[in-house]
Amino acid sequence: MSFSTIVIAFFIMLAIMLTGMPIAVVMAIMGAIGGVLAFGWPLVESMGPVMWSVMNENLLTAIPLFILLGELMLRSGMADKMYGALAIWLERLPGGLLHTNIGCCALFAATSGSSVATAATIGTVASPALDERGYDKAKSLGSIAAGGTLGILIPPSVNLLIYGSLSETSIGQLFVAGIIPGILLTAFFMLYICLSNLNTENKTPERVPLDVKLRALTALIPPAVIFTIVMGSIYLGIATPTESAALGVVATLIMVAIDGQFSVDFFSRCFINTAKTTGMVLMIVLSAFILNVTLSLTGVAQTTTTWITSLGISSTALLVLLIGFYIVLGMFMDVLSMMVLTIPIAVPVIVAAGVDPVWFGIFIILMCELGMVTPPVGMNLYVVHGVRNDDGPFSDVIRGAFPYVLIMIAFAGLLIAFPGIATWLPQTMFAPQ
Amino acid sequence: MKLFTLIVSWIFGLLLVALSLFVAAETASRKIFNVSFQGADELGGYVLAIGGALSFTIALAQRGHIRIDLVHDLLGQRGQAFLNWLSAMTLAMFGLFLARYCWPVVRDTMEYGSVAPTAWATPMIYPQAIWYASLLTFSALSVWLAVQATKLFLSGDLRSLNHRFQPKSTQEELDDELSDLEVR
Repeated sequence: MSFSTIVIAFFIMLAIMLTGMPIAVVMAIMGAIGGVLAFGWPLVESMGPVMWSVMNENLLTAIPLFILLGELMLRSGMADKMYGALAIWLERLPGGLLHTNIGCCALFAATSGSSVATAATIGTVASPALDERGYDKAKSLGSIAAGGTLGILIPPSVNLLIYGSLSETSIGQLFVAGIIPGILLTAFFMLYICLSNLNTENKTPERVPLDVKLRALTALIPPAVIFTIVMGSIYLGIATPTESAALGVVATLIMVAIDGQFSVDFFSRCFINTAKTTGMVLMIVLSAFILNVTLSLTGVAQTTTTWITSLGISSTALLVLLIGFYIVLGMFMDVLSMMVLTIPIAVPVIVAAGVDPVWFGIFIILMCELGMVTPPVGMNLYVVHGVRNDDGPFSDVIRGAFPYVLIMIAFAGLLIAFPGIATWLPQTMFAPQ
Repeated sequence: MKLFTLIVSWIFGLLLVALSLFVAAETASRKIFNVSFQGADELGGYVLAIGGALSFTIALAQRGHIRIDLVHDLLGQRGQAFLNWLSAMTLAMFGLFLARYCWPVVRDTMEYGSVAPTAWATPMIYPQAIWYASLLTFSALSVWLAVQATKLFLSGDLRSLNHRFQPKSTQEELDDELSDLEVR
């Protein structure tokens, strides 16, 4: 298969997706049609066992378990309570509550993983205080939209799990690799807020006594315990990602029970939302594997790698080109589709260029985060705009989020210049003894 | 449809909770008492296969499968109706694809009486039959929805067609989240 055929097929698939056909279906159908064209019907006949093996893969069981974990924390209100606790600690910094938006989004999204739920919850919980203290609307909305993107980077992340399964990269290493970039990016967002608000006067809240501040921290205990159990069990090598997710679900159930939240209605809401999200994610993953059968047998990745190698460009130049490619793609596609569509081809190419696949996982997630805050399809922009209680223009949100877009692009540059940001921790922890 | 969604979601949710309890107990027992129950991984795979297939149906009933609405939103009622009808037809095609090409897996298992190469030596027909039945539920629902969409399309009731089959907008998802926020 020639490289031009691959490019044409890719754009045909993209065009069909843009017409609004279900992404999963388009990928599966393209995989089947491509398979028939290249090898005839016997190839499609062999897809049944592929589908069983994907759906019977214990590693992927972590996906619904992490989604359920996030749903239990979200619907029990455990995550909502974090806002008040963080606000008390962060509101006296320059930029005040905007830090709370970022910090809370980072913590909330680390456990929830749903950017819509994160932005909707933080947007709603934060609005009254932000309005009352006269915060600039664009800055407030921008901080929530940008903060909401952090969840897919900070582990446990379903997106990292999907990357790991599609690229055959260790999920444990990916989860470890996400920690430092996640913390650093959060810190950069907060640094920007500090610097851009040095001369801004917002209504200063009254000083809160230390004992009240310490008491407020109790709201952070349940999510902190759950996060420690999930990540600690992976880091210490006690559990696989699936087992750690199961431990997290059990720990959350115990805390929800202690909080007296058990009810039929509570579980109904959790189960319906978990099933809906799992169905959406898993069907795309299944379709990606169906498409992969055709891609690998027709040597698409090999052809692309050969073509790109023949250009003689360095791995750094290749990554810079990929930043541009993902920014454009992210303007039109949602995060999940963008990932599963590009991983099967991009990972072999990038690995052949000498790039670490674990590092690339973090890079691709960062690119997906960018896609969430770049118009016209930046989902977080729409969510925070939908949450606002005035009838202000959409451009407020774009204006507010734009500095964060620049920070993310600069951070991608930093990640390229200093790959150790992502690779140092997993290499240290998973080094052969 | 609401009752169906609720029942299937509860089956799915309880499967996950039961699996979590089993896996957590197994992990704790393995690490603390050095005793493994065996089979937690195997069970996890079966729960994913069956639960995953059930979750396809819920996502379908809730219009949860991802569609890019960029072009859709630019079109008039007629254009949108055509795309929504076509989308329902492609989902039914996918449903039938699953039903047709997953069947040989179950058929071969029955023919050869396959068992899992694990300590449990589970006869594979049990998990695979339930998995396939769950996939057939998805296939049946997708075909039924495609028939409904076709009826609406042919009768010219484009407004109802768009109302029932349009891609779920960010605003709709947000509204769901906000109403949930009010409950808690």
